[in-house]
Amino acid sequence: MKLMIVDDSSIIRNRIARISRHVDLAKLEIDIVGQASNGKEAVDLFVKAHPDIVTMDLTMPEMDGVECTKALAYMNPAVRILVISALSDKSTALKALKNGASGFLYKPFNDEQLISALESLVN
Amino acid sequence: MHKINETEIHVFIDAIGHYFNQISNEIAIVKAAYLASDAEPPPLYDYLGTINLSGDYQGSIYFSAPRILIRHLLIAMQEPNRTEQDFLDAVGEIANTLAGNARKHFGEFMNISVPTSTAAPFTELQNSTRIHPFVIMIKWRQYHASLVIDMERIH
Repeated sequence: MKLMIVDDSSIIRNRIARISRHVDLAKLEIDIVGQASNGKEAVDLFVKAHPDIVTMDLTMPEMDGVECTKALAYMNPAVRILVISALSDKSTALKALKNGASGFLYKPFNDEQLISALESLVN
Repeated sequence: MHKINETEIHVFIDAIGHYFNQISNEIAIVKAAYLASDAEPPPLYDYLGTINLSGDYQGSIYFSAPRILIRHLLIAMQEPNRTEQDFLDAVGEIANTLAGNARKHFGEFMNISVPTSTAAPFTELQNSTRIHPFVIMIKWRQYHASLVIDMERIH
């Protein structure tokens, strides 16, 4: 499974990458194929890297995560997108799901929560 | 314009507690919460992360922390990179997370900007919305930080 990580914070991108290499996830054969720091970069990378799963921040410059989710889901309806955002109101999560996201994880997250969310996404 | 009340300040206090507990498995203590004044301005440390608000709210939310606190948080996150850019990134991400979590209470029409981050020296907080912003003083491990809430509801 090819994973693309989208977040404007390099610390968060690195953290997701590190946790994704967790031993339990390795059994799921997740391969990180790229990272993007905004929605526009993510769309470009998506075309080149063809990820199966994506972690998506929402509050980003250039193109936000909801718009990006919508674009990626349009390009490949089979892609599974896990939105990872601090925006904790219910309507934002519903909007993301309505636009093609498959799951939602609130920041701040711990290792176990991310692993569990990725496992749910992959399975 | 509607003033933010004391109950709503607890939304941010809860967000602070949740943040540090999730990241480090350790609690952060709120040492004090007060209204800033000329005599007691918001304390600012080495780094400042700012979120600007729009929509139903106006103003800003600021998180400020010393380098040593951010360094320890990066270690807790197992982040090997500790460049100046990483410190700025971290302080902005904390401000973004605390403001974003507050939308659980304030709702989707509290629009939050992408974070901006700066390093000291600072002059003073800009774009002051309230005459007396709320200040929440945080202690995590032995380090202090501050969250400044300078916001009002306009609709």
